[in-house]
Amino acid sequence: MKKLMIVLLIASLLTSLLTGCFDRREVDELAYVMAIGFDKGKTNILKITFQIAIPKGMGGGGGEEGGGGGGGDKNSMVLSIEAPTLYSAINMANTTVSRQLNTSHAKAVVFSKEMAQQGIDRYIHTLIRSREFRPNMYMVVSRTSAEEFIKSVQPKLEGNPAKYYELTLNSYNYTAFIGNTQLINFYNAASAFYSNPVATLGGVNAFKSSKDFNLNDSTYTEKREKYPQEGDFRAGGITKYGELKTEFMGLAVFDGTKMVGELDGQETSYYLMATGQYNYAYWSIPDPKVEGYFILLNVKQSRKPERKVQMVDGKPNIHLKIRLEADILNIQSGVNYEDLKQLPVLEKSAEDYIKQGLQDMLNKTSKQYHTDICGFGAEEKRKFLTWEEWEKFNWLSRYKDSTFNVDVDLKVRRPGLLIRTIPSPTSEGNMEVQNQ
Amino acid sequence: MNNKVTFGRWETITVLLNSMGIPILLGFPRGMVELGGTAGWLICIYITVLALALFYIISRLYKPFEGMDPLDLGERIAGNAGRIIVGLIFFTHSTFIVSMILREFGEDMKVIALTVSPISFVQLFFITGMIVGAYKGIEAVVRMHSVVVVLISAGVLILVIFVMPFFKFGNIYPILGNGPEKIFGTGFFRVSSFSALIIIYMVFPFIKSHEQFRTAGFWGIGLTGFFMTLVTLTFIGVLPYPISLEQFLPVYQLSRIINVGRFFERIESVFMLLWASAALLYLSFAFIIILRIFQKAFKLPYYRPLILPFAVILFTLSLLPPNVMTALNLEAIFFRSYAWLTTFLFMIILLITARFVSKKEKGRIKT
Amino acid sequence: MVNYIKNLKSLIFFEEPEKIEEFILKESNDEGKAEIKEAQKDSDRTPELKKRDRSIIKKPMSAASGNDSGEEQGENKEKDSNNKHQPSAVKPRENISTSVEENLRYMKDIFTVPDNGDIVIREFEITFKGKPVKAFIILIDGMTDRTVINSNILHPLMILSDKDFKTGEDDIGEFVKSRLLPHNQMKVTEKYQEVIDEINFGGCGLFVDGSKVAFAADVKGWLARGIERPNTELVLRGPQEGFNEILRANTALVRKILKDEDLIVENAKVGKRSKTPCSILYIKDIANESLVEEVKRRVNSIKLDYIIDSGHLEQLLEDDPYMLAPQIIATERPDRVAAALTDGKIAIIMHGSPFALVLPTTNNDLIHAAEDSYIRFPYANLLRCVRILGVFMSLLLPGLYVAITNYHQEMIPTDLLLAIVSAREKVPFPTVVEILIMEVAFELIREAGIRIPGPIGPTLGIIGALILGQAAVAANIVSPILIIIVAVTGIGSFAIPNFSLAYAFRILRFAYILLGASAGFLGITTGLFLQGVWLTAAKSFGVPFMAPFAPKTSGGFSDEFLRPPFWKQETRPDYVNPRDTRKQPKISRVWTQNNSEGDANE
Repeated sequence: MKKLMIVLLIASLLTSLLTGCFDRREVDELAYVMAIGFDKGKTNILKITFQIAIPKGMGGGGGEEGGGGGGGDKNSMVLSIEAPTLYSAINMANTTVSRQLNTSHAKAVVFSKEMAQQGIDRYIHTLIRSREFRPNMYMVVSRTSAEEFIKSVQPKLEGNPAKYYELTLNSYNYTAFIGNTQLINFYNAASAFYSNPVATLGGVNAFKSSKDFNLNDSTYTEKREKYPQEGDFRAGGITKYGELKTEFMGLAVFDGTKMVGELDGQETSYYLMATGQYNYAYWSIPDPKVEGYFILLNVKQSRKPERKVQMVDGKPNIHLKIRLEADILNIQSGVNYEDLKQLPVLEKSAEDYIKQGLQDMLNKTSKQYHTDICGFGAEEKRKFLTWEEWEKFNWLSRYKDSTFNVDVDLKVRRPGLLIRTIPSPTSEGNMEVQNQ
Repeated sequence: MNNKVTFGRWETITVLLNSMGIPILLGFPRGMVELGGTAGWLICIYITVLALALFYIISRLYKPFEGMDPLDLGERIAGNAGRIIVGLIFFTHSTFIVSMILREFGEDMKVIALTVSPISFVQLFFITGMIVGAYKGIEAVVRMHSVVVVLISAGVLILVIFVMPFFKFGNIYPILGNGPEKIFGTGFFRVSSFSALIIIYMVFPFIKSHEQFRTAGFWGIGLTGFFMTLVTLTFIGVLPYPISLEQFLPVYQLSRIINVGRFFERIESVFMLLWASAALLYLSFAFIIILRIFQKAFKLPYYRPLILPFAVILFTLSLLPPNVMTALNLEAIFFRSYAWLTTFLFMIILLITARFVSKKEKGRIKT
Repeated sequence: MVNYIKNLKSLIFFEEPEKIEEFILKESNDEGKAEIKEAQKDSDRTPELKKRDRSIIKKPMSAASGNDSGEEQGENKEKDSNNKHQPSAVKPRENISTSVEENLRYMKDIFTVPDNGDIVIREFEITFKGKPVKAFIILIDGMTDRTVINSNILHPLMILSDKDFKTGEDDIGEFVKSRLLPHNQMKVTEKYQEVIDEINFGGCGLFVDGSKVAFAADVKGWLARGIERPNTELVLRGPQEGFNEILRANTALVRKILKDEDLIVENAKVGKRSKTPCSILYIKDIANESLVEEVKRRVNSIKLDYIIDSGHLEQLLEDDPYMLAPQIIATERPDRVAAALTDGKIAIIMHGSPFALVLPTTNNDLIHAAEDSYIRFPYANLLRCVRILGVFMSLLLPGLYVAITNYHQEMIPTDLLLAIVSAREKVPFPTVVEILIMEVAFELIREAGIRIPGPIGPTLGIIGALILGQAAVAANIVSPILIIIVAVTGIGSFAIPNFSLAYAFRILRFAYILLGASAGFLGITTGLFLQGVWLTAAKSFGVPFMAPFAPKTSGGFSDEFLRPPFWKQETRPDYVNPRDTRKQPKISRVWTQNNSEGDANE
């Protein structure tokens, strides 16, 4: 018996060693794709762009190579191929790339706006079906071509583009200018019968130098404001100049898997608030008492939003209650809002400001884009007993008729290190602001 | 010598949990969603209650037959012929399931990690485990269960905890999914998911008492039901209804989603360890049960000479379906519609007949 | 050729196994649960004997070689064979003759006296009832204590026998024993063999004319190592003495700790020629009686010529010689032996070996260190966790590394992956070869470090590993991350308290590397499963090896994976089925009770 056991073990080990190793691939025999771009092809259906990490450039802390200093060292290469499908592109890429392409570390899928507007259903399914593509890749819609966008991703702080994608696309936690648009979230929202998906809007900065700055792409005029706030931009149009060309701001709004519109940074914040994904961000609220001054707040969402849907005459009436907390970062005007009597004034103005923005954003998505990106359908769905009824109800076609009832409750909690602001006295002697 | 081997209650429970819970790691949650839509988890609760009720009936009927497995019952009813018939029924039942599950696990591993390897190579590992397990005997395999199943269960719980950030309560509505008639009507046949319960009948000779048989059965069904409900609920909550229909491997898909920070992601390969160990445990134990049934049915003195030929037979059977879809379909039809016939209905009939026969015999002795 | 075919045949065809009743540890009848089965039914034929019989049948020996392999033959036959001990044509005799001349001649023959240089024979005369009686003592020089012989044996016999004794015995033997010899350990016997055995073991034989008995005085006095610190099981806290090579010193060390008259030290002899004395230690009212029987049966049934160390004995006693994990603990520490004895286990101490064997052993015992119970329980638990980590690292880390880098690249965080890739850029070998090279190199350093003489050893270990690793990286033979893996693995294996287990893991590690290379995690899981089944199926003296985890044993024995506070360890391990399961009462710290002062005396 013992002999049999041993022979069996050896035999199985041998067979596995002799015939085995089918799937064995050394780490250095693979080329790791960091980002995949989809464009319309000139000669073919698709133009696929791969961003492949170059491990040599990052070669660890070894003393010899260290120099570089982020200068000429390239840490990724970009490859564009025109092909009918994604997999044919991968195949074709390996005619020139020495290592087998492996997409298991891809961090971002970039669709050009043009592609997105035509619908990306079939490509999404490719990405979901294969085990190599990660469900937590980020969905990005580039306002320029995907190829150009990926080419422009040349991180300066990070050793490799993967980290750049991961960190920047996670920044919604503290900027609220983009959404959490992992592939799986996108796919879930796109296929469920109660919501529509969004993707992060990416773009390549248009300005060659800081002298070229203009506000052609800013949305502040739509909002009837005099000058743009920090969120009144979309990726690509931000008045910014620097070594980093790429930027992420705003959301691409989809109906099904067809892109129908864009949201700017601030609208994205409202979207995050309405869905409860908002974490915290800095806000500049116009001072209610002094024109041209701002009150800077660090606004957090204290609780999940309360969302209710009522059907009135077959039209959805949506109640949304947002609860926020804020810390004061600065009061430029020096008005003593910290005072308990003045505080409600500040809170009220901030509430109104946010409420107005929310209302505008919701109206825009429902009336203009006809898409329920905030997933209010989930609330209505609860009232149904069976799936059949719900499917017949066809929420997504009714959403465009919905009316919104937004309520914002903002409480200022902490004043920062200063408990009151005393404006510096000037030669004119008076503290002018106090008087008003 | 075999009769000296006894299992404790804990060991029996873990064996039951693993054997009945194995579909959870395969397509079970998807199957529930296919039937019940968003209410798939309700079916789980429903069939758990059903299984508990059926098992209650069976355990009541089993009372006078302590320590007897179905083969003994068959012998009691109709002598050698009875034993062989019952044995063959259970033998076919188990062989079919085991070969299908062997194939499914092989295919899963292939899809998950070993995409290029031939299926026979992947299955070779499972077969090796089965053979060695069978050689080392039922005792060792059962004892393995008592430790490893705990780890597997913990792993499943960890999985559930880590996908919680993706869980959306809205996804489980509408609460009744595809409608009550589907849940409670067609859903009844899904009690077949507990078909692995036959192993508790088969290991009754090893269990110390009827009392222990009963508690182990209840706990096993209860725990399995708990995990079924939990995983199905998580599955529906994380992947909204129409999408959940698409997934080949629900639990694997769930584990793929996990990401906690930049470091703790892409850990589905770790769950492969869970899959493979659950599969190895299940397959080797079921293999031993098959061998035992055969040995007992034909009153063979040893089962060890059967190991190699039977392993080859199972291996061949498992390779018969031409593709995954056929294998899934076969398993689905069987598990969904017919398996309960052997596990519950046939067992109840068998027990009632055995009772009847033994009463008659008693009567005859008295008169 | 025929052998190969036979082997092949035995692989394919099924041979009906012989029915050997397996030893199963029954519950002790003192536990009041189950009746005790009489130890062994086929006691006349032990399994060991049977195996040997079979081996005889398998390869019949030629007549010429037959007599050389004496171990296989019965005792009588061997005594008859005169040509066995080539120089001694002496006819073995049983009973001591009354004639001192004859005795002298016989002893000289037995010990081959003129040739054998260290045999000392001293002839002299005793005065018995006024008449001189011839006598002689025989002893082995160097093994005996000269002063004791001079003052306690020769002096009274030669000088004091002249004294006028008030009462006179008729028999000279009786007279010598009760009047003349003031030595404390005297053996009186009529058999030659017993005297010879004593002499061989540092005794002094005394033959007196006219007496039909001979005397053997225990005057052992050889040089031995003193009691030193144990070399392999070092502790920070706890007793620092270790066993040495002297049997009685060792048993005394244990007795010194367990001041208990129920501690039984049973004697046994192993080795037909070496006749190495062994002691089987157990506590009478704790150890399970069938276990004691089984141990005695196994020890007494061992038939071989020489046995040198308890390492030999371990290999002869263990249940499954093919299992990699040790099934008997060898320990140098008397306190550890004592602790095991109080748990109902059995220890075997062998003369000439500083390692006592403790059995039965479970997997759990192998990862416990002596120190664990001496330090406070939170510290001990930290150590245990670290140790378990070490065990897993030493077993699996290289295998996992190969599996992950070759099959599951997606698991590695991207930054780390790219670092690994760039480090491997210039390495020409596949990861498996790379890791095998390093593991083999490491094993070499380890082995050389032990064999190298004196103080160079540890230096070689550290410097060798450092320089070799550095050079291998510089030469692009291995990647730097691999050095970390191998080093951590090595460190992990040093954290295993039982060095036999560490050996086992060092072997298994290579299996896991190969399995990891053949199918990634699937291979490793299969490996773990096979190892698990193997371990759970194993038994050490009827106790399942994986107890108390698999099977789970009931009862409150709690020193399992983690250790509760000492006062909570109320029961003995259930799996050894001790006669008395309770170690301490429910409340052992009586002072915590209010009325403690009153109870203190109870």
